[in-house]
Amino acid sequence: MALAAVAALGAAGMGAGSAGERLVLADPDAPAPSGALGLFAHARGRALFHAKCAACHGGEGQGDPAAGAPDLTDHDWLYGSGKASEIETVIRHGIRAFAPKTWKLADMPAFGRARPSAGEAAPQLAPNEVSDVTEFLIALEKRPHDPAAAERGRTLYLGRGGCFDCHGADGRGDPGIGAPDLADNVWLFGHGRRDEIARSISDGRRGRCPAWADRLSSAEIREIAIYVRGLSASPAPRGSRP
Amino acid sequence: MSTVLQEAPPRARSAWLDPRRTAPRRSLALCAVGAVTGLLFAGGALFTARGATTLIVPAEDVALVNGQPIARSDYVASLRALYDVDPAEATPEQKRKALDDLVAEELLVQRGKELDVAGADPDVRAATVNAVEQSVAADALSKAPAPSVLRAWYEAHRDRFADEGVITARDLVFPPAKAAAAARALRSGAPVATVLAQFGGHDTGRVKGQEFYFAARIHLGATLFEAARRTPAGQLSAPITQADGVHFVQVAANKPPAALPYEAALPAVRDDYTQEAVRRLQAQHRDFLRRRATVLVAPDLR
Repeated sequence: MALAAVAALGAAGMGAGSAGERLVLADPDAPAPSGALGLFAHARGRALFHAKCAACHGGEGQGDPAAGAPDLTDHDWLYGSGKASEIETVIRHGIRAFAPKTWKLADMPAFGRARPSAGEAAPQLAPNEVSDVTEFLIALEKRPHDPAAAERGRTLYLGRGGCFDCHGADGRGDPGIGAPDLADNVWLFGHGRRDEIARSISDGRRGRCPAWADRLSSAEIREIAIYVRGLSASPAPRGSRP
Repeated sequence: MSTVLQEAPPRARSAWLDPRRTAPRRSLALCAVGAVTGLLFAGGALFTARGATTLIVPAEDVALVNGQPIARSDYVASLRALYDVDPAEATPEQKRKALDDLVAEELLVQRGKELDVAGADPDVRAATVNAVEQSVAADALSKAPAPSVLRAWYEAHRDRFADEGVITARDLVFPPAKAAAAARALRSGAPVATVLAQFGGHDTGRVKGQEFYFAARIHLGATLFEAARRTPAGQLSAPITQADGVHFVQVAANKPPAALPYEAALPAVRDDYTQEAVRRLQAQHRDFLRRRATVLVAPDLR
């Protein structure tokens, strides 16, 4: 009886191992694995997500605008375009995670502070200039704005402020460096109120995500990536603001 | 005799199968089965377990170079960096080139260790130090602090989460002989332009419009800024004598730095808490290394 139990446990372990191996060997960007492998990955990915990621991103991956944790259900990807392989890279190496291969190509400078950036030369802006750039960003989203202030803000955005360097001349951002799209009505920090935008410009932003490469196996990282990709699979994009 | 020989086999079979009777041969057989099963499991684990074999390349790796794994994720990243393709789209030549590059890199890294490059090359030393410090810091991020912990951190360090003060002021300078009269006129509400013309003063133009405190400090200098910072909105600072005359800072608006509410400060609180944890971990790590090391210091530096 004991022998049979040991054999059964061993078989179960080997089964899980082989499913994990199949998952790791599969093309991460192929359509989500179907059948038993898909169920296996999704169930384990969900459990791992709740254990490792939900503290910041929320139980359903809805994010936390107060803390700057991205909504993972909204089709708006800060890094990459939402491919499982890109999600996997973020999970593996993190964002500004003190890991050798972490994603940390750019920080949002604190334009309203004495030293806007620790790493790069960035200009200081005066309070009225911060307000002008804020107004320009409101205008980008086609919300009611002060046209004169927005025009001054546009000049700063495209000129001395250097905002275009990361966010693009059209404000559509750069997912290669994690620079958010500023024209899509989706806000990473806060809900797009003027005071929240001004604070982002004045104080800078620097979100972080841990690197799990040394703490989770490749199969587990793939499982979370597949689960997270599935979170945004629903066709109803968010983006409404109170 | 013949009857006894015919009945013997059934008795032997029942002794083997009857658990109530002692059967030495059955015990030996079951022990052997158990031992073989254990050996099979141990052998299987030895040759297939992750990290325990040198004969099989684990699924998460694409190669083992002298036992050192090259991660599949690095291979995929290399393919993307070299050719901007995913593995499924890459040609065999592209795959071969990406793999060869990674193998060559690993071999050179291993050779670098043999040559102790980090011992001599300052760039490698600096990169090594940085990498080790970073790896220690990574632990600071692996567990998100509870909201109550962050709230307590905010309450204990409120001054770190203040916004920058904002001031709107003018720096006016007068000849020493006329400064007192000019100040009286300004305090009585006379127009600035009139007072400047009447008493031979001028606006230095160091500050213009709204400025953050840090900018006003740079533009006015420490002494004038301190006087301005203490002056309420709508008032004139005390006189400050400098080489070019007597200065008064006329303050139109003055909003000192104020602690942000917790909700607005949360990202900064989280970052500050993390940075502090990183500093603590790195200090502990350095202490640990120092404790376990044998460091012999030259007599003149003891």
